[in-house]
Amino acid sequence: MAKVAVVGAGMTRFVRRAQETGRELAWQAARMALDSAGLTLKDVDAVVIGSAPDAFDGVHMKGEYLSDGSGAWHKPCIRCFVGGATGVFAPIQGWYHIASGQFDTVLVVCEEKMSSTYPHPQGAFITIFDHTTERALGPNLLWIFALEMNRYMTVHGITKEEIALVAVKNKKNALDHPCSQLQEEVTVEDVLNSELLAWPVNRLDVSPASDGAAAVVMCAEHVAKRVSERPVWVEGVGWHLDTAYWTNRDLYYPRYVEYAARMAYEMAGIREPRKEIHIVEPYDPFDYKELHHLEGLLLCKRGEAARLTADGVTQRDGDLPVCPSGGLLGVGNPIAAAGLMKVCELFWQLRGEAGKRQVPGTPRRGLAQAWGDLMQVGTVIILGV
Amino acid sequence: MLERITNPEEVRTWSGAVPIEHVYTVGVAGEVFFRAIKDRGRLVACVCPDCGTDYLPPRLYCERCFAKTADYRDLEARGTVHTFTVAHFDLDGRRLATPELYAFVRINGSGGGIVHRLGEVAASDVYIGMEVEAVFLPPARRTGSILDIAYFKPVV
Repeated sequence: MAKVAVVGAGMTRFVRRAQETGRELAWQAARMALDSAGLTLKDVDAVVIGSAPDAFDGVHMKGEYLSDGSGAWHKPCIRCFVGGATGVFAPIQGWYHIASGQFDTVLVVCEEKMSSTYPHPQGAFITIFDHTTERALGPNLLWIFALEMNRYMTVHGITKEEIALVAVKNKKNALDHPCSQLQEEVTVEDVLNSELLAWPVNRLDVSPASDGAAAVVMCAEHVAKRVSERPVWVEGVGWHLDTAYWTNRDLYYPRYVEYAARMAYEMAGIREPRKEIHIVEPYDPFDYKELHHLEGLLLCKRGEAARLTADGVTQRDGDLPVCPSGGLLGVGNPIAAAGLMKVCELFWQLRGEAGKRQVPGTPRRGLAQAWGDLMQVGTVIILGV
Repeated sequence: MLERITNPEEVRTWSGAVPIEHVYTVGVAGEVFFRAIKDRGRLVACVCPDCGTDYLPPRLYCERCFAKTADYRDLEARGTVHTFTVAHFDLDGRRLATPELYAFVRINGSGGGIVHRLGEVAASDVYIGMEVEAVFLPPARRTGSILDIAYFKPVV
């Protein structure tokens, strides 16, 4: 398979309600990514668009809607969608467009405009559940994830205080991100005392709803070597789907993340992920999900992630920096764009361009992961220099 | 079970809707477009400074070369019928009491156009190439919407 590199990245600010339309947001991010790579639309062979449910923007066939702002005019274009996992799946699709030998340069654009759903995007989630067995109960994602968080806490004997440390860390990291929606330092007490939404989930355990877009430019090796002095290589990709019968799973452990990670590690030739991965951007829409996912990624033993966090290992200057960007909890959560933001973060970190967020010690390899559909899809990408 | 079910009550069913409401921003370029309709009864176009492509409604960026567009200008809401149709059924397949005329109107002095209703004309009198102009609601009733234009009517 051909080697594939990321050569440019861009993103909009993440905000609660943008004046820009979704396609205008897409254009801002896509243009920034191209500019950062020193390329123009003429250099782009194909476009991959990632966006989560059409319901958020309130536009059916959102791929077609976003295509002009994503640079797809007169080009082969495809939109992918695996729920919350979309933002990491889109660059995987960009990767196989190029690894197949079909295209040399691909623009990958992810967008979400959640403020369009009124009064709150949470209302759009009702329709993802089984319409006969579950929708009648009026589920929302807060209590669905509260069920998972409770199971995870109980199986491992983890406290809400330990989990709140993740929110504190990520929101603090986000203070250094110029695009972040939340610019507020919080304490464990703040998290515990914030509004109780669905026990054990309090408001500050959860990422905000956001509008935003992110983009990367990906190239085949021969192009990357010509256009970029510091290409960041795709070393591994993985994705995996578990059963959508979520009552048939044990929610304490994300097996689908483990299988996606194993696929990516095998491709990257990684045998000891804890030693060979230097930066991790796991999907953190809720604080407990960062811990849940670190375990699924085999970066620690099951039930051990809370201790790593308490010991400071996952701080930006710790032994295994986790969400140095500030993650979804701090930077914001425009679903697909949030996942791709994590890939952008790896790009900037591995090139030493992350500014105040820069992880010390010249990291060489990073992993980004997202998760979605009905809590059963894992997507993983490993980048390295 | 492969028999076609003609009576939905024969099998157990559950009725539901997709109950989602939205509030859409018109966007950066849309703000210019809809303010001109509301405040001045005009349509706004813009141009790509790189390739010269003309956009009506205006776009913030050129989709062909990704440049930021420029030269926003007011145009009179007049143009020609590029194509048209006469609708006899509504969205749910019910016959309309009065058939409705819809046209794609290319606006004079621009490369773009808008889709809208035709009024003050019989279906049998409409033709491709017909000159038409917008009929705006009175200023006090305009809200900054595409329906501030009631319809396009023939230029007499």
